Amino acid sequence: MDADPVAAVSAQRPVGVAIVDDHPVVVDGVRAWLASEPRLEVVATGDDPDEVLREAPHADVVLLDLRLHGRMALEKLAELAAAGWRVVVYSEHTDPATMLAALDAGAVAFLAKHEGREHCVATVLAAASDRPYVSPALAGALVGDPRPDRPVLSDKEREALLLWFQSMSKASVARRMRISEHTVKQYVDRARIKYTRAGRPAATKAALLARAIEDGLIRPEEIGTYRSQAWSDRPTP
Amino acid sequence: MSTELTVPPVTAVPVPRTPGESRTGADAAAAVARASDRGARIVVVVIALAWHTAIGLPAVLSARADLAAPAVVLGGWLLVAALGGVAGAGLLRGSPLPAWPLAGTLLAVDVVVFAAVGERQLFTAANWVWGTIAWFFVLVLWGRRLVGLLFLLTAHSTIALVAVLGYGATTPADLARCVMYVYGTSSLPVAVFAGGAAIAALARQRAATAAAAYALVAEREAAELARRERRERLALAGAAAREVLAELAGGRADPRDADVQRRCVLAAARLRRLIAESDDVPDPLLHELRAAADLAERNGLPIDLVTIGTPPPLPVEIRRRLADPPTETLAEARDWARLTVVAGPDEVAVSLVTRDGEHADPPPSDDRSPSSDAGDPVPDGGGGRVEHLDERDGEIRWTQTRWRR
Repeated sequence: MDADPVAAVSAQRPVGVAIVDDHPVVVDGVRAWLASEPRLEVVATGDDPDEVLREAPHADVVLLDLRLHGRMALEKLAELAAAGWRVVVYSEHTDPATMLAALDAGAVAFLAKHEGREHCVATVLAAASDRPYVSPALAGALVGDPRPDRPVLSDKEREALLLWFQSMSKASVARRMRISEHTVKQYVDRARIKYTRAGRPAATKAALLARAIEDGLIRPEEIGTYRSQAWSDRPTP
Repeated sequence: MSTELTVPPVTAVPVPRTPGESRTGADAAAAVARASDRGARIVVVVIALAWHTAIGLPAVLSARADLAAPAVVLGGWLLVAALGGVAGAGLLRGSPLPAWPLAGTLLAVDVVVFAAVGERQLFTAANWVWGTIAWFFVLVLWGRRLVGLLFLLTAHSTIALVAVLGYGATTPADLARCVMYVYGTSSLPVAVFAGGAAIAALARQRAATAAAAYALVAEREAAELARRERRERLALAGAAAREVLAELAGGRADPRDADVQRRCVLAAARLRRLIAESDDVPDPLLHELRAAADLAERNGLPIDLVTIGTPPPLPVEIRRRLADPPTETLAEARDWARLTVVAGPDEVAVSLVTRDGEHADPPPSDDRSPSSDAGDPVPDGGGGRVEHLDERDGEIRWTQTRWRR
């Protein structure tokens, strides 16, 4: 888990990012954010997911505005995730229910639009290598998940999520919990990985899970308690 | 953009939600049921005592010479009259006496009177237990389940039957008379008892429905108030945002100007907060924190307020201990602030993070403020505990309060 998450991709070519948003000003803004990171390259933009992906069939990550032309694109998101696209949802709709629904539908990550450049770049880089990135907004949604069938998180995982949501500073969380920043990230990421078992199966979820197991972040049996009947869903790539 | 324009109207008065409040509907219903039951209780006490005095006593006295053991029959009568008087008074005062010891005594008197009345007076009014005892059963069992009364009446019928057989009155006419007496003296008390219970239940149900309807109306009004207030604030925030955007578009404002940037940040923060408000009825804790955030914003502080979940009804003391520390820190905040609430049924965590303005001290490794009162039990007890942690590391200042049930 200590390895640079993007070592694999950065060695070859920049990560191709497709941006789907119906507001040109937002597209330009996000493009400007990503342009400052040499490991990322915006390969296509537009307001129609199908068109954008036809234009850039090799995009590594899709940044999807959840609200397109006044409608929530959750169905589209599920379709893309099922087809194996690594979709990072970004939205100004940061109510916890929407964020959880996006994860359930197969989004690799969820970003609040106001969370800024740093989180955006980090999320896209992590997504490109099938690794989780939990922004503070998403951490809040996970720790406050009221659904009775939510994944079972450990006390440490909940605490790390809560403090990360509150402070937006892993250094502060580490000091508060008297653990290293690295361990804070592990707790937060493990909580996120447990959510790959929630909602319908998707290729992206399987990829996240497989990578987490490969990285030693989580053992398969640790997530087996949750919806274990879904365990045999599909082969990991 | 004048400063006045940014003043949000803080008008919404949150409906008070304390743990006691959720019970008030049920309490009101119970009060109505009690009131409607009172009439029935008076009726039962009057019937039992009047019948006992007006019918039972003269019959016993006039047939005194003909009874097998007149003193015993009269003594039983006196005992039941005394018990009935005491039990009736208790019932009317709303503090009924223990039912089963009284019922046991009544059955014992029943047996004794049947034995003492003698064969000749067996089926006359002088055997006063026929007519009266069932009303006293009703009196002592009032408000309990019907099955108890049926049990006592069955016991009474058995005693009567055994007595009738014991006296050798086994002709079909005697047995028929016995059945008729039992039926005739039981049916009316049972009807009154069941009717009273049904009326009380109905009244309780009606009152509960009315209380629920009233709560619904109150909630709707509060929601409407919150919506109106939110719309007004949206209009103000929208106007401020429009103004700065128009100035930018018209070239009258320079995006490089720090003041213009600050206005943009403020307008965006306020719009974001309005979008994030999702509670229909203002929760008192969220309302307090929102008011504090509005106040800070009025002083020019860009602030994010993110709430997740709805706090359970909390006592005022706990709410105060949750909201006060972050509110105090907020008053000193500079540059930016992030106020968050994560609430579940058993836990509420409030946190304020802001820039640590005091760079004089090097960041200590573990800087829990001495003022922290972590783990102190809340004085009112029973409501759980509130932790308060306050720390600063030179970068951020972090105030956290947390209640756990």
